[in-house]
Amino acid sequence: MTAEPGGLGVGASPRRKEDARFLHGRGRFVADITRPGMLEVAFLRSPIAHARLLAVTKPAGQEKRVFTIADLDGIGTIRANSALPGFRVSEQPALAKDKVRHVGEAIAACVAESRAAAEDLAAICVLDYEALPAVSDMRTACSPTAPLLHESWSMNAFLETRRDDDVSGLDAIAAAKVTRTLRTSRQCMAPIEGRGVLAEWDPRLEQMIVTTSTQMPHVTKSGLADCLGLDEGQVRIVSPDVGGGFGYKGILLPEEIVCASLAIRLGRPVRWLEDRFEQLTAANCREHHYVITAWADRAGKLLGVECDAIVDAGAYSSYPFGACLEAAQIGSILPGPYILPLLRCHTVSACTNKPPILPYRGVARTGVCYAMETTLDALARQLGIMPQAIRLANLVPATAMPYRNLVGKVFDSGDYPESLRRAVAAIDVDKIRARQAAGETVGFGLATFCEQGAHGTSVYHAWGIPFVPGFEQAYARLAPDGVLELRVGVHSHGQGLETTLAQVAHEILGIHPDQVRVVHGDTALTPYSTGTWGSRAMVMAGGAVAEACRQLAERVAAIGAALMQVSGADVRVADGKVQRTDTDGFVTIADVARTWYRTPQNLPPGVNKGGLEVTAGYRPDPDTGTHSYACHAVVARVDTETGAVVLEDYVVVEDGGKLVNPMIVDGQVMGGLAQGIGTALYEEMPYDTEGQPLAATLADYLLPGTTDVPDVRLDHMETLSPWTTFGQKGIGESGAIGPPAAIVNAINDALAGLGAEVMDLPASPSRVLAAIQAARAVKA
Amino acid sequence: MSRISISLTVNGERTEVETEPREHLADLLRGRLMLTGTHVGCEHGVCGACTVEIDGVPARSCITYAGSCDGASVRTIEGFGDDTVMAALREAFMQEHALQCGYCTPGMLVAARDIVLRLPEADEARVREELAGNLCRCTGYRGIVRAVLGVLAARRPRSGHV
Repeated sequence: MTAEPGGLGVGASPRRKEDARFLHGRGRFVADITRPGMLEVAFLRSPIAHARLLAVTKPAGQEKRVFTIADLDGIGTIRANSALPGFRVSEQPALAKDKVRHVGEAIAACVAESRAAAEDLAAICVLDYEALPAVSDMRTACSPTAPLLHESWSMNAFLETRRDDDVSGLDAIAAAKVTRTLRTSRQCMAPIEGRGVLAEWDPRLEQMIVTTSTQMPHVTKSGLADCLGLDEGQVRIVSPDVGGGFGYKGILLPEEIVCASLAIRLGRPVRWLEDRFEQLTAANCREHHYVITAWADRAGKLLGVECDAIVDAGAYSSYPFGACLEAAQIGSILPGPYILPLLRCHTVSACTNKPPILPYRGVARTGVCYAMETTLDALARQLGIMPQAIRLANLVPATAMPYRNLVGKVFDSGDYPESLRRAVAAIDVDKIRARQAAGETVGFGLATFCEQGAHGTSVYHAWGIPFVPGFEQAYARLAPDGVLELRVGVHSHGQGLETTLAQVAHEILGIHPDQVRVVHGDTALTPYSTGTWGSRAMVMAGGAVAEACRQLAERVAAIGAALMQVSGADVRVADGKVQRTDTDGFVTIADVARTWYRTPQNLPPGVNKGGLEVTAGYRPDPDTGTHSYACHAVVARVDTETGAVVLEDYVVVEDGGKLVNPMIVDGQVMGGLAQGIGTALYEEMPYDTEGQPLAATLADYLLPGTTDVPDVRLDHMETLSPWTTFGQKGIGESGAIGPPAAIVNAINDALAGLGAEVMDLPASPSRVLAAIQAARAVKA
Repeated sequence: MSRISISLTVNGERTEVETEPREHLADLLRGRLMLTGTHVGCEHGVCGACTVEIDGVPARSCITYAGSCDGASVRTIEGFGDDTVMAALREAFMQEHALQCGYCTPGMLVAARDIVLRLPEADEARVREELAGNLCRCTGYRGIVRAVLGVLAARRPRSGHV
């Protein structure tokens, strides 16, 4: 969908307000910002996965330019706790203390006039350590003989969870039963802009100002204040233009703490810019391992699922979402969009000598969807029914909405089977079957799933993370010239919120989006917010902006009516005006603003003394989250000689409720999809048995390029959420959830004639060939 | 660290600068010349975010030593002010939603402009192949490819029935 002339409000696709600056190279990212007297930081990082730190010898004569944890006394450790019973919380020092627990862990900060000179310093520091055996495999991390990463713990696990429905009777009654062992790769989120931190101490305000590339400036502020021992008013976070987040920038960074501490100690601004090597070795996501069994009756109706899952959570629990954000959600996401009567599920968040896992677009759902959807296809093959048939037999029907599933998730609205039917109808399945009959290794794959988004207090309080989201607030102010300023605590880093929130304001007040300025990314200017994550911004900030604009409209109407000497009941606010309902008479909102600020002698008696600025809060009721959903349908061709997979066709039928800006929604789905294709076919951060990362450049860690992502066919349904302001649903992650499942199902359909099946991600040429060879070996 | 003096033309202006042998062109442009529109993504020549034009040809400024640019003419995203092809690409990028976070965009535009000028008959497959050296993590490329194809199509002489 392209930009469209005409509409400007909710549901229109005007051009983005933020585009011009980026197209002219006028964006401002952290690395574009310098300060007089600024020093640059390079980190000495651990070259080894697990070791006892003995000493760091600083270069002679340069001792005052190298800082270890001993030089930064008084700064706190990062603790991301959870209220889930049995959770073991790690203590992550900002610089390694006594031990290192993953390659890339920061040990010392080296400070110089330039980054190059700082790297020179880091290169001549001498590190003394005693190597310890590394825990590099999540499957053996919890064995009694495994060395402990955190020595006060009884085992290398952050958390275990169990759901114990009795599935013992299913073997006797099921027509089909399959068990699969599946694995997803460890990935890197890899935004094109790395992280960056510029810290400066303002002696006048006694305030630490940190300009940092983050999705959640307010949470970072609170976490940083806590670790630095400052009060919250003494920390200001500025998040300027951010070159992609995807979860990678939804975290309090050790580097933020170190840079801030250095800026205070040195009395000079201090900046650190992450390079690509640091990025690829600093944080990972998503490494799941499943043993999953599913039972179905003859019609394909699911009788139960049993799942034993491990997620490699790495060495530390990251702030604020913690180390169990993937594994602990597996049990609740496994039922997917289906009616599932029984679920037995055991999960482990394993602690290993790898970088901590962080949220990555799709969080847990991408892996779970992969496990469930490939297992469903295996069941369908065993039953001899089509993949769409087994899904239709189990999808929650539209008539059951809102639907509460067996784990207590509440689906708000939608017609899940219809999305599947539309996707299947868009593909000529008979033609694929004919090509298969002619000997072609081509296949057809489906994935259906739903995405909980904008879930709030009622969901997260049970999880007990450091920041349970509550009411989202927005501030709206009419300036003396009639320009509307919106301030929000969420952050926009590609989602186009500067445009879509202006569209929301236009919808309520009729002010042209060109006359709306959206301010975000500065804790000094915006209301507190947990930030942009969990597909929540358009529901939460959109709702808050709408509410603030409504309250502003009431005040504007009262003043406007008085100016026209009519009753408030005889006017309405629209098109940027206060209009009389009985005649054509009107005053503009700009007239009202001018009156409030410049000619207050003309204000009516009893005018609201709050003036033309409003802070309003919003939370959907219930706040259990919106559920967007989608069906992905893929046609893939497999080259059995090379193992290469070509995506011949890709159809997405998506329902995100009311689309505030369809062009931007398409962009979100498309972008997520490209990431999902990366998960499915290319992206893998392998670690060797010593815990060494083996893909430390973008020539080794393969991101999908232009030739890897097809021109997907997107189709939308628009079932409104009954619980949100305009019926909109969170949809930011959806595109990244379905592709691994749909693509591998298509590959396995293509390979079914050979008896081969891919189990592990990514379905790289070597894995596809291995699957084919394994099948041949069985036949021979 | 030894320093070398170079003279180069950047966006039409002749500049004399001292550089270290190890400094890459992107750092020189972004640092002393304050042309921060050129972005650094990987610093090993894979992602294409730092693409600029050197003597009329797209090049990766992160793996080009500044010292090797003595006498060269460099054009960055800030230097296309009156260029009609770049103007058409910017328009098309907005229209097709070809950017989200905007970080890869300057490099993408420099690469795209070269395709438009060099390969007027390029079809979708060729455009995708030519853009394969510029990574975007946000858009899934659809808008970018469509924008480039749109500009190519608009520049072709109208053919068909007379």
